[in-house]
Amino acid sequence: MWHMERIPQLLAFVQAALVVAWCFTDLEAGPGTAVSTQANGDRFKIEGRAIVPGVKTQDWVSAARVLIDGEEHVGFLRTDGSFAVNDVPSGSYVVEVVTPTYRFEPVRVDITSKGKMRARLVNYIKTSEVIRQPYPLQIRSNGPHSYFMKRETWGWTDFLMNPMVMMMVLPLLIIVLLPKVVNTNDPEMRKEMEQSMNMLNPNPELPDVSELMTKLFSGSKGSSKAGSSSSKGTRPAAKRR
Amino acid sequence: AAMAKLILLWLKCILLYNTVEAVFEDQVGKFDWRQQYVGKVRFSHFDTHVQSSKKVLVATEKNVFAAFNTRTGELFWRHVLKSGLEGNIDALLQHGQDAILVVGNGRLLRSWDVSVGGLNWEIVLDSGSFQKACLVGQQGTVKHVAVLKKNVISLHYLSNGHQKWIENLPESETVDYQTVYSGGNGEVYVLGVVPHSHIAIITYSIEDGEIIKQVILFVSTPWLSNIESSCAVVGQGMLLCVDSVTPSLYMHDLHLNIHNHQMTQIPLQSLGLEVAPGFQPVLASHQPNSGHQPLSEFFLQLGPDNYVLLQLNNGQIVTLRDFKPALLVSFATTGEKTVAAVMSPKNKTACSINLFSAETGRRLLDTTLIFIMDPNGGKPEKIYIQPFLKKDDSVGYRAMVQTEDHTLTFIQQPGRVMWTREEALSDVVTMEMVDLPLTGTQAELEGEFGKKADGLMSMVLKRLSSQLILLQAWIAHLWKLFYDARKPRSQVKNEVTIENLSRDEFNLQKMMVMVTASGKLFGIDSKTGSILWRHYLDNVPSNAVFKLMVQRTTAHFPHPPQCTLLIKDKDTGLTTLHVFNPIFGKKSQVTPPALPRPVLQSLMLPLMDQDYAKVLLLVDDQYKVSAFPSTKNVLQQLQEMASSIFFYLVDSSQGTLSGYRLRTDLSTEQIWEVVIPTEIQRIVSVKGKRPNEHVHSQGRVMGDRSVLYKYLNPNLLAVVTESTDTHQERSFVGIILIDGVTGRIIHEAVQRKTRGPVHVVHSENWVVYEYWSTKSRRNEFSVIELYEGMELYNSTVFSSLDRPHAPQVLQQSYIFPSAISTMEATLTEKGITSRHLLIGLPSGGILSLPKMFLDPRRPEIVSEQSREENLIPYAPELMIRTEWFINYNQTISRVRGIYTSPSGLESTCLVVAYGLDIYQTRVYPSKQFDVLKDDYDYMLISSVLLALFFATMISKRLAEVKLLNRAWR
Repeated sequence: MWHMERIPQLLAFVQAALVVAWCFTDLEAGPGTAVSTQANGDRFKIEGRAIVPGVKTQDWVSAARVLIDGEEHVGFLRTDGSFAVNDVPSGSYVVEVVTPTYRFEPVRVDITSKGKMRARLVNYIKTSEVIRQPYPLQIRSNGPHSYFMKRETWGWTDFLMNPMVMMMVLPLLIIVLLPKVVNTNDPEMRKEMEQSMNMLNPNPELPDVSELMTKLFSGSKGSSKAGSSSSKGTRPAAKRR
Repeated sequence: AAMAKLILLWLKCILLYNTVEAVFEDQVGKFDWRQQYVGKVRFSHFDTHVQSSKKVLVATEKNVFAAFNTRTGELFWRHVLKSGLEGNIDALLQHGQDAILVVGNGRLLRSWDVSVGGLNWEIVLDSGSFQKACLVGQQGTVKHVAVLKKNVISLHYLSNGHQKWIENLPESETVDYQTVYSGGNGEVYVLGVVPHSHIAIITYSIEDGEIIKQVILFVSTPWLSNIESSCAVVGQGMLLCVDSVTPSLYMHDLHLNIHNHQMTQIPLQSLGLEVAPGFQPVLASHQPNSGHQPLSEFFLQLGPDNYVLLQLNNGQIVTLRDFKPALLVSFATTGEKTVAAVMSPKNKTACSINLFSAETGRRLLDTTLIFIMDPNGGKPEKIYIQPFLKKDDSVGYRAMVQTEDHTLTFIQQPGRVMWTREEALSDVVTMEMVDLPLTGTQAELEGEFGKKADGLMSMVLKRLSSQLILLQAWIAHLWKLFYDARKPRSQVKNEVTIENLSRDEFNLQKMMVMVTASGKLFGIDSKTGSILWRHYLDNVPSNAVFKLMVQRTTAHFPHPPQCTLLIKDKDTGLTTLHVFNPIFGKKSQVTPPALPRPVLQSLMLPLMDQDYAKVLLLVDDQYKVSAFPSTKNVLQQLQEMASSIFFYLVDSSQGTLSGYRLRTDLSTEQIWEVVIPTEIQRIVSVKGKRPNEHVHSQGRVMGDRSVLYKYLNPNLLAVVTESTDTHQERSFVGIILIDGVTGRIIHEAVQRKTRGPVHVVHSENWVVYEYWSTKSRRNEFSVIELYEGMELYNSTVFSSLDRPHAPQVLQQSYIFPSAISTMEATLTEKGITSRHLLIGLPSGGILSLPKMFLDPRRPEIVSEQSREENLIPYAPELMIRTEWFINYNQTISRVRGIYTSPSGLESTCLVVAYGLDIYQTRVYPSKQFDVLKDDYDYMLISSVLLALFFATMISKRLAEVKLLNRAWR
């Protein structure tokens, strides 16, 4: 079982490796590749721009930083949102724009020893997978950070829809409303009821009177579909008697 | 089917995530606070380009560039540069709205917009060690900045940083070029020195970097080595140098067109001045605007407390005023007026600052400012003056004083302190949280239970009296509430002072004792963050390591609480002890023992002397043990206990880990030694468990209702090693679990193709560590858990010497999508609450990650049993969710440590994170199960109760009426 599951994974890995190889060959001739303009010895520059849609750059750049592999290299944003992190040796890095208010997705940037740059999506599980991103980096914020949980607010509807409350309220309604709806003083009615009770009680298959009443009233209120459908079924039966 | 499984898994994850506690928006600032610091100030400028500006710019030794509000001392903005030498700020220049920073030994040049705090531009300079930078102006306007390096000078435009020209310095192998100067006449002067020979002056043209002239000044004496302090350019380009040997001033006109020249000598005696013996005199000039020449007035420091204001007048030097005693001097310019501020000692506790006219040396009226020195602080080190013109055209000023203990004090005339910033707190090394003392009444009540019983009657009386006291206190409290309620809200003060400090009912408010690298100790109220006491230890070596221990808590009432700070010089190993009261910060009466030999190890024993102070054992380099306190009682107890006192020593340079046992005569014997060959790996850290940790449950209930017992060895040490070979294919991180008493290796694990830095947390029966995987280029977490198995060997007591069975070891690893700065586990009173890991991230967030995500029993395939156990199915990647950040947007820069402390409530753990900033909060790993939630709806419950009460009343009445009616019928 274990090995069986491993095989497709292995295949996927081989495929990924192939893709990587292909990408690297592509890199040599690809039009999107940018050679770092300012190579100091073998130190390079990672460039890009961070954008928060709908917010002025002055409002957030002073609190923002560009972190490369944690705090290995640190860059700052210019007043127009662009950034350049100098003095980065060749290698593979995760570039992150960090602000307390806005969220940015990290990007992996690979720098070859010749200074060729490539940006791709960060994937920590399949580390060699390549999904190209534009370089110079274009990092767009996907909204503000959500730091807080919502409080459970208390509303009347929540309260009333609570099953416990429903269980309490419905019997109460029955007790209060039943005598009003059914005129118990009418001797004919009383007789009918007694009769029906006598008929019902010994027969276990027929519903209990209280249950019947519940169904009747809940049905008349139309609060539940099941109740109304069943009451439709039972009411004519009661009438017939 | 796989898809369905995945979805199920996902749903489960979501469900679990939602059960985790997070911060609610209305809790912001309720029980948490943050203080932001910048570090010891190296450069500071008042923002002068706008007349009413409230900004002061600072660049610090912690590589921070920030702007404060001069009215409040709060930060406008702050930029934390890279730590270490690469982010070191070499120079800060200010021109108008721009501030220029030279960073990383002249590697980077950055220009910042002061008003917004954004970056204008950043350029990389050629390598070469940085010497000096200055603004270069021409006819009053400044457009360039010149950067002088060891062998090259370059000129850059201020507007975009582009290089205008770069020139190699001639003969840079022999000449030590040190400083660069521009007087606003289209020329840049570079000054260099050849020790024992001459001064070289090269003049460059601003336009194209052409060398206009080269001058060699022969100086007769070999006194000159540092141009920066012994020379200054004054007035219309007159170079002045001071020599303490001859003692005289040397003078040279930079405009003179001679190639070889002898400097004009002016003996100081001819000016009536005398240099203090053994003192190297210092010259200081002032150039208010880089587009113009410097002032012709300058200061000459002749001794530690002696300054002279001199003036260059038509080639003659005139003494304007001699200041003695004077601690500090500074020039300041506002508009056209330049003043000299002089700080002189007034008495033992205060200094006075006075302004003098720079041109005449006359004292300006009504400019005295009194600076009261904190007796527990340091001496003043620097003053920065912010002058301004008053309506009547006289000069007023505010002063920022920096003292030795890294404190900044901003003072207004006539001595009102506007704010103080304790920048020492930017470098907290270690801390402890100490319970606050009980109030008198509380102590009285507690005392009742402590005293010996002397008869039934007196006990009853005591009981009654204490109840009476309680009643009295309650009434007083009510009265106070009532009294306060009548007053307007603004008048009710809830200030915390040392006098009214007392423990709250859940022990949530504590005293944070913080030790900083500068040697200043602080006592901070954990509830409000206000500093209640401070104490500066002025003889702390700069490379000291500290260890803070609580010897006596506040629980032993008549005896004051006692903390001991061990200060060890890292090079010599010599150690001093500072014993103090953690509540008041006062030095204790107890005299600590003198320690003539270097101390290798210190350990706190659970033994107490007759005054309830825990015994501290110190092991010196001859393996002799000394005890503190060392009363007869203690020594006797030690003799009895000696056979069961073990300790270990780590020598990372030799790679040895050795265990020792105490003998009754307080000597020691080695009982085991583990050698980790240093050629292959080195010991990075050794972590034991926290002594105040409690584990509530001895085991875990499995899905089939059996119990898996935890291996809870209190003597277990986690030793982390890193390979010496740093090649990414061969590097590894190792972890060794070793019993500190017997030296038995319990478990050993190696992570190949990984490297540090390794962060470890060791608690209960688990070790969590984090490392960098070089192969996959990601951070990974690994967790090791130890179990005894289904049966407990000896359930009553754990002994390292009697544990025949090796524990079962489970391990699992995970991917973590971020680097981490530090890591700690939550701690609660009884250990019932589930544990969380608090992880400090470089982004400034503190992530509270439930330990259940780091559980080696997380199954890859979900079974009925694992579901029963509430195990989360294994997923390789751990998630970072911002909802789990305990500090929401209150980021903490460069977090270095997280301190956790239990509170009186089992659900609550107090957390302090420190780095550049300090953040204090509370966390509830299993939610607040033991108190009502703070959003508990009192209104609802009381209204429901009332409604029910009235409903019963009314219905009762109605029923009565009905009965009555029926009876009448």
